[in-house]
Amino acid sequence: MATKSFVLKVWRQDGPDSPGTVEDLTEYAKDVNEHASFLEMLDLINERLMADGKRPIEFDSDCREGICGQCGCVVNGQAHGSQRGTTVCQLHMRSFEDGQTIVVEPFRATAFPVIKDLVVDRSAFDKIQQAGGYVSVPTGPKPDANSFKIGKEVSDRAFDAAACIGCGACVAACPNASASLFTGAKITQFALMPQGAPERKRRVSRMVETMDDLGFGHCSNIGECEAACPKEISLESIAIMKREYLKAMLAGS
Amino acid sequence: MLPLKKALTSSLGKKYLMAASGIALVGFLVTHLAANLLLYLPEGELYNGYAKALHDWGPLLIVAELGLGGLFLFHAAVATGLHMKTAAARQKGYLEGQRSKGGNSRFGFPANKMIWSGGILFAFLVLHIIHFRFGPGIAEGYEAMVNGESARDLHRLVAEEFRKAHIALPYAAVMLFLGAHLRHGFWSWLQSLGAMAPKYDKIIYSLGLLVALAFALGFLGIPFWYLLDVPGMLK
Amino acid sequence: MSIVLDSGEPAGPLADKWDAFKDQMKLVSPANKRKHTILVVGTGLAGASAAATLAELGYHVKAFCIQDSPRRAHSIAAQGGINSTKNYPYDGDSVYRLFYDTIKGGDYRSRESNVHRLAQLSANIIDQCVAQGVPFAREYGGELATRSFGGAQVSRTFYAKGQTGQQLLLGAYGALNRQIDAGRVEMFERREMLDLVKVDGKARGIITRDLVTGKLEKHAGHAVLLCTGGYGRVYFLSTNAFNSNGTAAWRCHKRGALFANPCYVQIHPTCIPASGDYQSKLTLMSESLRNDGRVWVPKKHEDAEAIRNGSKTAKDIEPQDRDYYLETKYPSFGNLVPRDVASRNAKTVCDDGRGVNITGRAVFLDFETAIERDGEDAIRDRYGNLFHMYEKITGDNPYKVPMKIYPATHYTMGGLWVDYSLMTNIPGLFALGEANFSDHGANRLGASALMQGLADGYFVIPHTLGNYLATHKPAAIDESHPEFETVQQEVQDDIDSFLESHQSGSTTVIDVYRRLGQVMYDRVGMARTADGLRSAIADIRKLREEFENDVKVPQNTDFNKYLEVAFRARDFLEMAELLARDALEREESAGGHFREEHQTEDGEARRNDDDFAYVAAWEWKGDGEEHELHKEQLVFENVKLVQRSYK
Repeated sequence: MATKSFVLKVWRQDGPDSPGTVEDLTEYAKDVNEHASFLEMLDLINERLMADGKRPIEFDSDCREGICGQCGCVVNGQAHGSQRGTTVCQLHMRSFEDGQTIVVEPFRATAFPVIKDLVVDRSAFDKIQQAGGYVSVPTGPKPDANSFKIGKEVSDRAFDAAACIGCGACVAACPNASASLFTGAKITQFALMPQGAPERKRRVSRMVETMDDLGFGHCSNIGECEAACPKEISLESIAIMKREYLKAMLAGS
Repeated sequence: MLPLKKALTSSLGKKYLMAASGIALVGFLVTHLAANLLLYLPEGELYNGYAKALHDWGPLLIVAELGLGGLFLFHAAVATGLHMKTAAARQKGYLEGQRSKGGNSRFGFPANKMIWSGGILFAFLVLHIIHFRFGPGIAEGYEAMVNGESARDLHRLVAEEFRKAHIALPYAAVMLFLGAHLRHGFWSWLQSLGAMAPKYDKIIYSLGLLVALAFALGFLGIPFWYLLDVPGMLK
Repeated sequence: MSIVLDSGEPAGPLADKWDAFKDQMKLVSPANKRKHTILVVGTGLAGASAAATLAELGYHVKAFCIQDSPRRAHSIAAQGGINSTKNYPYDGDSVYRLFYDTIKGGDYRSRESNVHRLAQLSANIIDQCVAQGVPFAREYGGELATRSFGGAQVSRTFYAKGQTGQQLLLGAYGALNRQIDAGRVEMFERREMLDLVKVDGKARGIITRDLVTGKLEKHAGHAVLLCTGGYGRVYFLSTNAFNSNGTAAWRCHKRGALFANPCYVQIHPTCIPASGDYQSKLTLMSESLRNDGRVWVPKKHEDAEAIRNGSKTAKDIEPQDRDYYLETKYPSFGNLVPRDVASRNAKTVCDDGRGVNITGRAVFLDFETAIERDGEDAIRDRYGNLFHMYEKITGDNPYKVPMKIYPATHYTMGGLWVDYSLMTNIPGLFALGEANFSDHGANRLGASALMQGLADGYFVIPHTLGNYLATHKPAAIDESHPEFETVQQEVQDDIDSFLESHQSGSTTVIDVYRRLGQVMYDRVGMARTADGLRSAIADIRKLREEFENDVKVPQNTDFNKYLEVAFRARDFLEMAELLARDALEREESAGGHFREEHQTEDGEARRNDDDFAYVAAWEWKGDGEEHELHKEQLVFENVKLVQRSYK
């Protein structure tokens, strides 16, 4: 089976307050099976580092099938690497050339402080969701599920927005480090569905306020978030968020 | 629920303000360009007539100019505020720069560097006003007759100034930044107001290119027109 | 003290038991609820729904997850759907029918009362989730769409494209977030539970490790809810997430909680096979693929060998040289036989040396016939996203070359023993969702895992927990109780001595762990024999020894992924032996547990209802001691036990 070797440079940072630096790990990046995923390549590098008594590269991952959103790093200046609609755990080494230079670094945003190496703290995303990314219903007897009639097209659009995995690639890819796509996706899901209607103004006001307070940049409509999104969530989500916010603003008190 | 002041000082609200002031400024640019097209005529009568008509507004003109200036300042000030926060949102950039992943991304100079193109336009504007608005007038001999009345000969001033390469070329260059600014701004203002939908996206974005080209070339042509002496005034 | 396994279910007719329980249960007054702290470990479907619901009721909830956010829990990866008896298609579904299918699908090794309750609650789940704004698939008329799943005769599976688990989890995550925002849930991310604190025999708290700083923390509560998922990663390679583990459950087991039916493991037939020793996980492909794909391997060993070494491709094998073994062996069900049957047969042909990928452990899933019959567009319409995912992972285009698939560990039916209230034999310690053993018997039906997680969290525990608190009235204690310091110190000493004894070694955690997985797949997997199990136990012990003596672990005590994995692997090395032991003890074949000695002449699983219709609940007797087996006899009053047949 074909193997490849790479010129590998990885961001190493001991902790949030350490300066961090790029480490050349080329000597550990030889003879990598080309069918390994990018994270499996890092696993292999780590085995070799540990055999050498060196500290392994810390990186986040969980499901390794592109749905949990825990993994994510910037590969050669692109969040999750060069392939569209892909998380870094689904990126495979066969998409790299033998001998290619690979620079790996964490998602960069003030709101995502680095914890260690490639691991960043994305709890800001949870805080945005806590501010309103839900329909406020308690558990208990509910109207029959079919009492909400939602057309297939609308339902599919809501699903597409709801498919966000919260990985943070949109923030990493946005030149402004804006969280608008992430926030807009959840607002869009509920803006399209009748269940979300009663608290739509409160939801958008609170989520936007939280997003701003957490230190994300503003949206200047570049659209790189959409390009980097592994679930290819549309920029329309941001337009809908802006529409919802405008409505909330104009509705007054 | 969502007080107006709070809404308009949020990142979204500020973008509404940017969009609204931006489109108003485009409105001004339309009149400015329409008037400037008169500069392509070898005779200055119509252009000077337009200038005189404006001048004859008297105090009203001052009010209009102040209003316009205020709009520019407002647009620039809000942009600066947004930019400061954004600069803080990513303090450390990527090691070897960032590369776009393509698709519908507008990643590139016009979209990423609105603050630069805007800043250059702002600096230009100051010089531009000093240059022409407060430049030499009737007292300095730039006098023309419009409908039998004495008027400032702005047409001659422009023509003379743009025959100087060190003035014409920078002017032309700045207009490229104007084009870049409009190239993104024209699409962006609709998106910022939440007025975009994917099905109009391509049309509006293409239209933005046309608008940007129209303004950039319309303005940019004038210095070259005189630098290359197309009207043949020197012959 | 001998342990009596009492399910604690109310008497009376099956269909009335849950109502009877609710009518008789004791309640905690609203004012008292907030004085009760509930510790919820894990934030998947079961944990998030339980934490949100309990907080809404007024309890003070502390929730813990090992990931960086509760939204990452592995429930998120469930693809297919969620069963419910709504009977919208009007095709004859009912609570009893879902109950019956689940009992039968589990090969009559689950408790009737629990399963019936699950079927009853399944309709509430859909209503609840729709009210939360979960975007289920819908028809053009605006009503919910359903599909038939996993060979069910009724269309009772609700879905959201291939991401049903994600949408349901995000619904529960939203509900949890609302409570966090309201200050009623304290959320602790990147925390791993490393021990249970018992006071006066009751579960009263946990010790967690902050995975960022490495510091241990004490958390006291009036009850502990384990919602920590299954132990499928004991096989190393599985469809489970990288961080999925059995440590919290295992540590509770070592504190006295019985571990039930560990040998019941579901090995899912349609997964992308491992292709090398770099592999870290296996990806599930929806089993709907078997509706149109035909499973085969070459008839001749030399052809298989040629495919493995690349000198031939699938296309070079003539039709008469292909062995469509499922179609031949099971003429009426063909490629649609249940999961366990499909998995076992794949193993058999690969053991025979006819596997088709580089490792020799893969079979073809071929769409050529379907594409010829229906056209590529029709196939794309049905499976486009799955084909895309397959191509992304393997680099092969399944429209042109057959897919390669192989079974992978997917779900563990076994887990901590719980009674009707979902409480383990330790008072105050509850287990919900995949972490318990209760509802799926020896085999889980497709689209039933999501159903169980949410039923447990939204609808069962709010009642049963209240009943426990009102009945047992656990005294108010906090972390200053000396027992917390004692247990924390034990955990700290364990970590310190572990690090000290693993400063050097010739191998790594992953290496030993991977070899454990190999032993488990080979001998404690789809088909088991007494000899194989005995040799597996011997090998597991050797691996455990090697792990203790020869593994090098990075020494830093702060964020250290390999230290986390080391602890989990160490627990799996213990758990693996119990799994093999349970499989050895169970001298029958049932569901996911297939003993080659116990099969019909047709090669089908043969149960032994006379001797083994019980829940095997194992008690930890201390390091180096043999587990003790306790039995809960299963009583079937509402269904007749029959042998499965798919011929």
